[in-house]
Amino acid sequence: MNRVVVTGIGVVSPIGSTREKFWSGLVEARSGIGPIVNIPTERLNTKIAAEVRDFDASQHFDAKRQGMLDRFSQFAVVAARAAVKDAQLEIGEEIALQAATIVGNGAGGMNTLDDSFYRLYAQNATRAHPLSILRLMANAACSQVSMDLGLKGPTFTIASACSSGTHAIGQAFQMVRSGQAPLALAGGTEACITVGAIKAWEALRVLSTDTCRPFSKTRTGLVLGEGAAMFVLEPRDRAVARGAPIYAELLGFGMTADANDITAIDPDGAARAMRAALIDARVNAEDIAYVNAHGTGTALNDKGETVALRKAFGDSAERLAVSSSKGVLGHSLGAAGALELAATALALHHQTIPPTANYQEPDPDCDLDYVPNTARNAPIEHAMSSSFAFGGLNAVLVLGRA
Amino acid sequence: MAIIDDVRSIIAKSLNIPVERLTPDTRLDELGAESLDVIEIVFGLEEKFDITIPLKADEATRLLEAGGKGGTGSAGDLPFATVGDVADIVQKLVAAKVAQ
Repeated sequence: MNRVVVTGIGVVSPIGSTREKFWSGLVEARSGIGPIVNIPTERLNTKIAAEVRDFDASQHFDAKRQGMLDRFSQFAVVAARAAVKDAQLEIGEEIALQAATIVGNGAGGMNTLDDSFYRLYAQNATRAHPLSILRLMANAACSQVSMDLGLKGPTFTIASACSSGTHAIGQAFQMVRSGQAPLALAGGTEACITVGAIKAWEALRVLSTDTCRPFSKTRTGLVLGEGAAMFVLEPRDRAVARGAPIYAELLGFGMTADANDITAIDPDGAARAMRAALIDARVNAEDIAYVNAHGTGTALNDKGETVALRKAFGDSAERLAVSSSKGVLGHSLGAAGALELAATALALHHQTIPPTANYQEPDPDCDLDYVPNTARNAPIEHAMSSSFAFGGLNAVLVLGRA
Repeated sequence: MAIIDDVRSIIAKSLNIPVERLTPDTRLDELGAESLDVIEIVFGLEEKFDITIPLKADEATRLLEAGGKGGTGSAGDLPFATVGDVADIVQKLVAAKVAQ
């Protein structure tokens, strides 16, 4: 069994697309949520989102290559390149042939799908663009990362809605730990802020038109986000031997299904996933200092997640620091778990707990320490990152200080 | 067809129960409705009557959690607990639309 460490972090996010900007935004609780600028909003009741605003695809891809890439693939490739650079990784023959490339996304190329259907149904276009399928297929981002970096090992996409990124990283972690792959590029990506997708979310009546206020009594729902985070995961021995930066160690992965409600969190299923991750990590609940929560900002999730944390942590829940990054990042669905793992790994690296942004007022149903609005320096030896998806799919990672 | 009959038929279809079980006094939470059912019912009503009902998922959950404790839930400021409440809301919104 290899010890597995995170040596490269690449992000594309609503608060900036460098690791430094991302971390400073989280620590300063600088929310990336704002008025939607990338799509027309006349027909939408929800006019806010956490969009990636500083992303210019033409700075990363020539026109021909850009034509092949939906926005969710662009995000993934840019994040993957940044992760490789951050890890100071030279992709030699062994890595090229054997490294795993695993990307989580909840949807696929939603911008391509939305644009194509609008042209066909609303504008009565006769034909779709010949690259439509290649841009919108669910595995497009993963395949484009593999092609861009020349990675030819086990490569696939994991789709589990809001847990996709966490499932992808957990799977890659297990493959590197067992020696099935000598290294992995893993993470999550999502770009589905389109008129059609927002309309569908509005119909579920869970979107806030105010902002995202996780765990606050005044919370009014979730805010959609977008972005990507990709990681280089490799055995600790390899990382040390080549002098790579080590941000954190991945220690355990737990996953469960609720087999219950399609939307509502099931505290039992969520708590079982947390406990499974702790057991896999061989870490006691009381040794976890920080949990980066799923914390969507809906009444139901935040209440249910609090119950789950109490179930999984028992008395030590009282001493736990819990924060949600979604007040800053919005909810980027399949990318969320990956962006939040970046937040958790950087929390361990900097020994600083990023706060829960936009928090206003304690809720009796959410009675833990949510690190409201102001970051906290604290000794963190172990931390947890949780994702709980529609469909009742739960994925939890446990990390340790490098 | 009176509004109440359409409302009963839409609720019965969403919950897969015989329409005869629904009277104006029947409470939604007593019918085993879950919050997603309420959201589907509201969608059905909006489509049928071309109106917009301001009910959020969190309110639907609160409504159902109130159970037999006399909670009402709300759509905007209007009670949303019984089949009759729902019909009243639809009636008001339809009247407001006609007045426009």
